[in-house]
Amino acid sequence: METGQDKNAVLARQRNYLLALAACGFTALVATPLHDRLDLANIVMLFLLTVALVAVRLGRQPAILAAFFSVALFDFFFVPPRFSFAVSDAQYLITFAVMLAVALIISHLTAGLQRQAQEARERERRSHSLYELAKALAGAVSKEQVREATRIFLRDTLHGETSLFLPDASEALFTVGEALPALSMPGIYTVQSVFNGGQAAEAEHVAGGDLRSLYLPLQGATRNRGVLVVSVPFSGAHVLQEQRPLLQAVASLVATAVERLHFVEVAQDSQLQIASERLRSSILSALSHDVRTPLTALYGLADSLVLTKPPLPEPVLETAGAIRDQALRLNGMVGNLLDMARLQAGKITLRKEWQPLEEVIGASIKLLGAGLQGHPVKVSLPSDLPLLEFDAVLLERVFCNLLENAAKYSPDAAEIAISARTRAAMVEVSVCNPGPGFPPEKLEKIFDRFERGTTESAIPGVGVGLAICRAIVEAHGGAIHAFNPAEGGGCVRFSLPCGNPPSIELENTPGEGGVP
Amino acid sequence: MSVVAPLVLVVEDEQQIRRFVRAALEAEACRVVEAETMAQGLIDAGTRKPDLIILDLGLPDGDGTRFVQDLRAWSNVPVLVLSARSTEHDKIGVLDAGADDYLTKPFSVGELLARVRALLRRSKAGAELESASVRFGEVEVDMARRQVTRRGTPVHLTPIEYRLLCVLLANAGKVMTHRHLLRDVWGPAYVESNHYLRIYVGHLRQKLEHDPAQPSHFLTETGVGYRFQL
Repeated sequence: METGQDKNAVLARQRNYLLALAACGFTALVATPLHDRLDLANIVMLFLLTVALVAVRLGRQPAILAAFFSVALFDFFFVPPRFSFAVSDAQYLITFAVMLAVALIISHLTAGLQRQAQEARERERRSHSLYELAKALAGAVSKEQVREATRIFLRDTLHGETSLFLPDASEALFTVGEALPALSMPGIYTVQSVFNGGQAAEAEHVAGGDLRSLYLPLQGATRNRGVLVVSVPFSGAHVLQEQRPLLQAVASLVATAVERLHFVEVAQDSQLQIASERLRSSILSALSHDVRTPLTALYGLADSLVLTKPPLPEPVLETAGAIRDQALRLNGMVGNLLDMARLQAGKITLRKEWQPLEEVIGASIKLLGAGLQGHPVKVSLPSDLPLLEFDAVLLERVFCNLLENAAKYSPDAAEIAISARTRAAMVEVSVCNPGPGFPPEKLEKIFDRFERGTTESAIPGVGVGLAICRAIVEAHGGAIHAFNPAEGGGCVRFSLPCGNPPSIELENTPGEGGVP
Repeated sequence: MSVVAPLVLVVEDEQQIRRFVRAALEAEACRVVEAETMAQGLIDAGTRKPDLIILDLGLPDGDGTRFVQDLRAWSNVPVLVLSARSTEHDKIGVLDAGADDYLTKPFSVGELLARVRALLRRSKAGAELESASVRFGEVEVDMARRQVTRRGTPVHLTPIEYRLLCVLLANAGKVMTHRHLLRDVWGPAYVESNHYLRIYVGHLRQKLEHDPAQPSHFLTETGVGYRFQL
């Protein structure tokens, strides 16, 4: 193809030279009959006009040829003695010199103008197709469309071929659409290093041999978004240098388009996530409502049986009481399972507030009530314990589960102890019971889901209580673990970060209602 | 003393729950009207003029907060809300709208009746509380002389502590949301400063409770607010 094109160009050049010569010959032919009536100076003008026209139509080289040829024709046909190159009057030599000079200048200027116009047209065509590219990229909704628009643009403007390399989720580069068949391993390496380094590079294809490629990084606002490779035939490789600004503009357009696609993807992902989160939480709350309604009825009905007046016979009363207690236990389990599902469902939204630990402990003990099975709870907190930032409802769950657990595994009426201390930037809270302690080999595993200290024991529970505690404590940025203190029993200790408590301005005006 | 039995409106869609609530209330010498939907409940509240409304938050036809807002436009009847756990947000909404108390499902008959009695007593006692002196535990509060004594010994309270105590006493038996208490005691600019409220309730417990860690009068409604119990 290339040699064919060259041949055409050569032929066109030869034709232009012939046309230039023909134009001069034609002028001489026209001027000959007018020779008697026209001054020689005006005949010179006709030749100059011809040179100018040749320069406009055929370009610079044919015009130069025409200039020399016109001078020769003028000398031969019009300057006496005619039909001879001899010159009778020496002053005609000046005419020739001026005529030649004027003709050359005209041809030079005209051809220059012509070339500039040509270049302007070319530039306009390119910037027009750049607009087209920008338009196509702005509307692109997939990486394939981005690649296709770029490919068409570079093919039309530079006769180049395009490959687009973009990173996937794991940062590995993949090519969009089909890669150049000749893209060899060094090419891949270059792509990778351009992507990492962010510097454009130029290289030849070793395997293809006749292609030269420019590797342009796609620089986005925050990071490199990929690599654009433009390959042109080796013979036309100079355009890669000449059109570098254009190619860089293309690369930044493509980078913008790819970045936009990336953010659209991110937005869609998060929307999807929000939707599934919403679905999950609505399923959970529907489930929670549906399970709790019959449980409430069961518990309330059994309770009213117990309270019936006059009282039911003793065995029936006992049965009613047992039904009530079992309903309450079932409710506790359902609650724990739903909590676990909610905590597992992903991000927990914490409603954190600064508050004293004492309050939530008191509330947990009161909430648990009969669940403590008569175990007294001894709370010993240092008086200078700072305010902590936590979600009170969730931390209440932690204390309820720990206390319930402690009560379950303690001997009757044994005292459960809650204590706290400040260690570095954390507050450590321990809940200890005087029971047999945790099986030493399970100290870690008891915080896993559905894991219990003793399997199939008579002590009820499904083994999610401690897993819930761990999820909640970890969501607060703390840690939880179990240990058996040397003096016996079992302890669970969890920590919460101190953070920066808000400053409190307490009033210092004299009070009311007290000692004057 | 009125001899007419108080009328209680139960707005609840689950028949079995209505059944035992009705039985419990009737055993307490109350008359009971039942409504299955919010819309019917609102009509009954207008036409039957109940002394107390028990409202389930999980009704299929509506939002309890709207119900209470509508109701409060023309009635001061006490409202006891029944709700499932883990919906603190809804509870706060309905309490801020003007509901008086809530019970978390499942609840025992004993708890229900205790709340019902407290609310009926409150609505009867009403404004009389202002002038009286109040006794709870070992503490006596003399509203007229603005004096607090514990086991006969005067207790020093700061102005804010005293104001907080008064607001809690005036709303005894009722759940007060954090927001409500902050607005009444500190003013509207402080409704987000929950930690102040918690610290001052802690002070009151230190000064007035037998065991501040396990209070029996200044009760915490976790995630919602406080309740003062006589």
